[in-house]
Amino acid sequence: MKSVICDLVGIEYPIFQGGMAWVSDASLAGAVSKAGGLGIIAAANAPADYVREQIHLVKSQTDKPFGVNVMLMSPYCEDIAKLVIEEHVPVVVTGAGLPTKYMKDWIEAGIKVIPVVPSCNIAKLVERAGASAVIAEGCESGGHIGESTTMSLVPQVCDAVNIPVIAAGGIADGRGIAAAFMLGAKGVQLGTRFLVAKECTIHQNFKNKVLKAKDTDTMTTGESLGHAVRALKNPFTRQFLANENNENMSIEEKEAFGAGALRRAAVDGDEKNGCFMAGQISGLVKKEQTCEEMIKELFAETEKVLEGAKQWLK
Amino acid sequence: MTFEKVAQVIAENRDMDVSEITMDTTFEDLQLDSLDTVDLVMSLEEVFDITIEMQEGLKSVGDVVNLIDSLLEKK
Repeated sequence: MKSVICDLVGIEYPIFQGGMAWVSDASLAGAVSKAGGLGIIAAANAPADYVREQIHLVKSQTDKPFGVNVMLMSPYCEDIAKLVIEEHVPVVVTGAGLPTKYMKDWIEAGIKVIPVVPSCNIAKLVERAGASAVIAEGCESGGHIGESTTMSLVPQVCDAVNIPVIAAGGIADGRGIAAAFMLGAKGVQLGTRFLVAKECTIHQNFKNKVLKAKDTDTMTTGESLGHAVRALKNPFTRQFLANENNENMSIEEKEAFGAGALRRAAVDGDEKNGCFMAGQISGLVKKEQTCEEMIKELFAETEKVLEGAKQWLK
Repeated sequence: MTFEKVAQVIAENRDMDVSEITMDTTFEDLQLDSLDTVDLVMSLEEVFDITIEMQEGLKSVGDVVNLIDSLLEKK
């Protein structure tokens, strides 16, 4: 299966692996790129030295294209913005804000800039600033989320811009990929499915939680604080929500409770105090595989679904 | 007048009465989140037929009016 996204970034299959903080390191990103997708290193809140090391590790594994997800609210954002130019990173994906002030420099350096967008107007704005494509991410996703669902956001963004749209949020199998293409997307970005990849270095407890999850096992917290986060339900998420409703707690106290929680999940596997960020589609993720097995299976399924779609025309 | 047009756009955008908006009204008063701000800026671009670069430091209606005036002068 091919699309314009494959030609645009030089990949075999039109699939990106989402840049997930504390998850998307060189091990996962390198494996996805080697398997013919676009592996993406999450810069998250990490300092430039760490990200540089991850970039070098990916380059040592493969000559194929890869990306860095620049988290625009990171205290090191300025450093990372320069680093991706120095390191000739082929693709930059951005999250958590408007990347327009960095885009001119990145584009001049030959980087393909592909921002994650939560709305049509933001998609238009980054298109005007020279984005090569956009990722329309629905709130089915894990981690920090917007308000629109993938089903409603993707076709509207496709109509709003003339650059290719990549769909993200709630996709974990060939049916989801086929559906995304029917909505007008030219590629997909998956996060949750890759959490259980063999090359993903997160704690086994995190993987087990995803593998065991049912359809109703995620919830969102943080809406009252202005930054909604989707994660697997556990004592941490329940307490976070209780804190949000506690009038006697200050905003600072509520925020402090969440600090470091993703690290406690991804690195320590702390089932009580960690925040296991994962998407609503977790319930569909049932087996650990290598990235190559996943990607091959995903697109074999997608092709089968798309071929089968003709039955509805009879 | 720039202010009147801006106030009109904001009033329509936020379902408010134009009289509620002054030069000193802040984005915070209008309860604009980052998505709303982008929507507002895009509406203003259309009305004034200009291109506004999103920038930090825009905090009030007065800031927006001054920015638009300076952009209109350059046109």
